[in-house]
Amino acid sequence: MVNKTFKQKSIACHLLETGKVLPFKSEEKPELMPVWDKDLCARCALCYVYCPDAAISRQEDGYFDVDMNLCKGCGICHRECWFGAVTMQEAD
Amino acid sequence: MDKFSLFAAQLLTFRECFSKKGHSACAGCGVALAVRHVYKALNENDKTLEKARWQIPWKQSSIFKTTDQPSGQALPALLSVPKENDNILNICFDNECTESRIKNNSLIKKLPAIAASSDYAYTATACPSHPFDLFEKVNKGWEADGHAYIHILCPCPAGWGFEPQETVRLGRMAVETRLFPLYEISSGYYQVTTDETNPRPLKDYIKKQDRFSSWKSKQIESLQEEADVFFHKLKEKTKTGI
Repeated sequence: MVNKTFKQKSIACHLLETGKVLPFKSEEKPELMPVWDKDLCARCALCYVYCPDAAISRQEDGYFDVDMNLCKGCGICHRECWFGAVTMQEAD
Repeated sequence: MDKFSLFAAQLLTFRECFSKKGHSACAGCGVALAVRHVYKALNENDKTLEKARWQIPWKQSSIFKTTDQPSGQALPALLSVPKENDNILNICFDNECTESRIKNNSLIKKLPAIAASSDYAYTATACPSHPFDLFEKVNKGWEADGHAYIHILCPCPAGWGFEPQETVRLGRMAVETRLFPLYEISSGYYQVTTDETNPRPLKDYIKKQDRFSSWKSKQIESLQEEADVFFHKLKEKTKTGI
């Protein structure tokens, strides 16, 4: 994932470039997308809390789902889920 | 009561006030996560912020330039504000992404103390891995009578060199190893908000990141000592005040 060593990039944050903080929709789809297993999900909302892209939203039945346009496939929801309900699967 | 309403995260507002149209941050960006939490906390206080989204003024400032000393312009830009303004909430999103930042870990740790000694009414450190702690602190800073300063540690997958899914885990680890203790200074009184009685060894935290790949065990030990000394000083200050 990391191509450059730390010394080569002084600041690695794209948000700091001017014009990059405006609303932005990536045309590139991530390789892996989160999928919820409703049998295991306890609706604790941890995946929602820790999503940096605000891609996860609560459905009417209390379960969670992802917005395909916003998700970047970082996998934080998969890592932080206590119940193992979120798995990363290849996007269609 | 339905069983799922018992979880603490369900107490949050589900109104999203951050970037419904997306943003250009990397996958797993800690800064984006912290900004989202801050907006969520602020939105409960002030509904007008919902329209603002990224329009709230924010600027990049590099505290350390080529030397290990803080550059002349950055520190005042970070900490000083015009005196005629009564209430300003100043939030620093620190992704630790300068080379000299790693070498000199101690100086940036003093920033909250510097702010507290220069008549800030409320100063705190926070991390998005502890979201409820962060909400509380942002709310307190918003309501503080005077200037407030909050220093937020934001793990950066590209800069630190770890897998994007580890962002929250590494933030939590920084707190658990006492390298980045969470505390607040409210009108001169210190309070440690996450008191880690059994700290994790610092090695766990260092080994996960590529930016420390050249580090030898001696350097890790010296950083561990530095972190322990800082934490014990902090604990003493909670008893005595500034």
